[in-house]
Amino acid sequence: MEAASLPEPAPARPEPSRSPREILSDNILWVLLAAGLAYFLLTDFTQTLQDVKTGLSNGTIWALIALGYTLVYGIIELINFAHGEVFMIGSFVAVSIWQTFEVDSTSSVLVIIGSMFVGIAAAMLVSGSLNTMIERVGYRPLRAAPRLAPLITAIGMSFILQNVGLLWRGTPDSSPDLIRSQEEVFTLLDVAVVRSDVFAVAITIPLLLALLWFVGSTRYGKAMRATAQDPDAARLMGIDVDRTISLTFLLGGLLAGAAGMIYALYNGTVQFNQGFTAGLIAFTAAVMGGIGNLTGAVAGGLIIGVIQAMSDTHAGQRWTPAIVFAILILIMVFRPQGLFGEETREG
Amino acid sequence: MRVRNVAAWGCLAAALSFGVAACGDDDEGGSAGGGGDSGSTSLTIYSSLPLQGDNRPQSESVVNGIKLAISEAGGKVGKYTIKYVSLDDSTPATGKWEPGQVSANARKAAQDKSTIAYIGEFNSGASAISIPVLNEAGILQVSPANTYAGLTRSEGADKGEPDKYYPSGKRNFGRVVPADHIQAAAQVAYQKDEGCTSLYLFNDKEVYGKGLADQVEEFAGGQGLKVVANEGIDTKAANFRALAGKVKSSGADCMFFGGITQNKGVQLFKDVHAGNPDIKLFGPDGVAESPFYTKLGKSLEEKTFITVATLDPKLYPKAAQKFFADFKDRYGKDPEPYAIYGYEAAKVTLLAIQNAGDKGNDRQAVIDAFFNIKDRESVLGTYSIDENGDTTLSDYGAYTVKDGKLVFDKVLKAQT
Repeated sequence: MEAASLPEPAPARPEPSRSPREILSDNILWVLLAAGLAYFLLTDFTQTLQDVKTGLSNGTIWALIALGYTLVYGIIELINFAHGEVFMIGSFVAVSIWQTFEVDSTSSVLVIIGSMFVGIAAAMLVSGSLNTMIERVGYRPLRAAPRLAPLITAIGMSFILQNVGLLWRGTPDSSPDLIRSQEEVFTLLDVAVVRSDVFAVAITIPLLLALLWFVGSTRYGKAMRATAQDPDAARLMGIDVDRTISLTFLLGGLLAGAAGMIYALYNGTVQFNQGFTAGLIAFTAAVMGGIGNLTGAVAGGLIIGVIQAMSDTHAGQRWTPAIVFAILILIMVFRPQGLFGEETREG
Repeated sequence: MRVRNVAAWGCLAAALSFGVAACGDDDEGGSAGGGGDSGSTSLTIYSSLPLQGDNRPQSESVVNGIKLAISEAGGKVGKYTIKYVSLDDSTPATGKWEPGQVSANARKAAQDKSTIAYIGEFNSGASAISIPVLNEAGILQVSPANTYAGLTRSEGADKGEPDKYYPSGKRNFGRVVPADHIQAAAQVAYQKDEGCTSLYLFNDKEVYGKGLADQVEEFAGGQGLKVVANEGIDTKAANFRALAGKVKSSGADCMFFGGITQNKGVQLFKDVHAGNPDIKLFGPDGVAESPFYTKLGKSLEEKTFITVATLDPKLYPKAAQKFFADFKDRYGKDPEPYAIYGYEAAKVTLLAIQNAGDKGNDRQAVIDAFFNIKDRESVLGTYSIDENGDTTLSDYGAYTVKDGKLVFDKVLKAQT
């Protein structure tokens, strides 16, 4: 959480006058991405719109997970590799609740809506407390240790949780199709928008707004920002740094749980190793947007979603991971701090 | 500072090697017990199958089939005592077979002096790794489930196959399940019966899945069925909605997936069906297992067609009826499709040891005895092993899915 994520405007700095060339080179990536999109829109308008739609709705899930990486990195500069698994556990919790109470798409509307609320609440709660617990047990004791030590703990946590997932549900399972995921809602410019697209966006946007409000406008959010900028100074100002860090992990976990529940309904299947891929993609999204930056994580998630969908269509799916990472490398070369990132406190 | 860095990396290396070691010790049946040289009367049969992830129900069923066969023989062949060790070729990180684990298993069997035979792997890509190791050790390997043609024969294979799997120059690998040149023909016959005119192929890029899809493509062309694409999928993708859109714009009326359940089979079928409710979806034996067919849902079940070398129990000889009954008695549930092949793989291995007579503990004699099996009356019907190590059986079963169960449709007589 750097200055870029603050809602209030940063103090005006006298900017040296910049030549148009500098402005272009600063924004070259945006120009390139937009040019790519424009090219595909011109050659095949409907298909590209279709891809953008699929990509954006897939991307909302990546964005929610990416926020967890970025929040944690912003505050303690740790890459929480277990985050993808926390997301997977969220999926499992939601699906288990629905299976236990035998809710499916034939239940009455009230029951379905009610169970979706219970599902998302339970998933968020479990993932949130799990993430907080991981921090308390695995990372806090190592806070003074060299940077590599907590990183390895994080990898270990990720393996442990993956094995928990394997014991819990060794084979991929179907989630009950509560929202009748792929039923068409409306057609816009020849692009069919299905229920899961609407669902993913409708759940994600309020969560994002709530998070931005929390980080930007509450006392706790202020404490988080202060801790992110300088933990020692924050402690001197009377901020309980440990509690603030726990809170950050809790927030990240809550979002991962929500993402897990959305993923289960959106895709219709859950699998113990879904967290690994999702974690990798979301981490990439966070880096692409500028790790530590909330807006960047969301934008990164959406951009990766769209790149994946377009690459599936045009290059063939076997090339998709290669293309995503090639674009990531390109972005890193031109803007090592990511699309939205600014210089970090380490410089 | 430098010293501290070194320590940290050492730590990382230690952690990683720990992880590998932990993954590398998954055998079920206790330790291998290196006892016994080649003159010993105690022989060990290993099996190597993926016991974690979606393949678990199928593999456990195969392991039970093998156990049943060995216990029927009383754990003895002539003067030899047979010990059985079940190894796992999968790792928890992937939930399916993994190259490193496969070669560790093969090496373990190769280094055990009492090893007489190795039943496995389940996946053709895995066998491509274990065959050369066991070939150099001169150990008989019998697969209950590999269907990729290139493991034993040159038609429908890549360049250099199958010879590259047999560095010693001698054959040591055989299978009791008809290979994919037969399955591909059966698939195309089934697709034509169901009225397909143009076909969209997906494959999971593995030795088995891609090999099968390529052969289906070849046969379909020969039978006048138009193939519009043969596309490899990203088996780690969250969903396949963009691909479903491609199927739609291609105008295909049937889809075939060359691949296995673990490589996102259910997700692919669900997404392609949601985007194209009218087209028929075909799957091979790689998805003929309960983690696949119990997860489809009603509307998708009606469009799903599967081929597997297993037939309706009623069409099997009497011996098989006894197998199905004994299996259910002993393990409390019906066998998965490949259990009967596991049973037969063990049976034919025991027979090879028996036929080797006094040389039952001589690895080469047992291999020779296996390749000499002729007109064996088995639970699968009467078959011989040909010079490639392939079974002469050629019947494939056509199945539909109803209420989460495979329903036998008909026998496909493949015209190859």
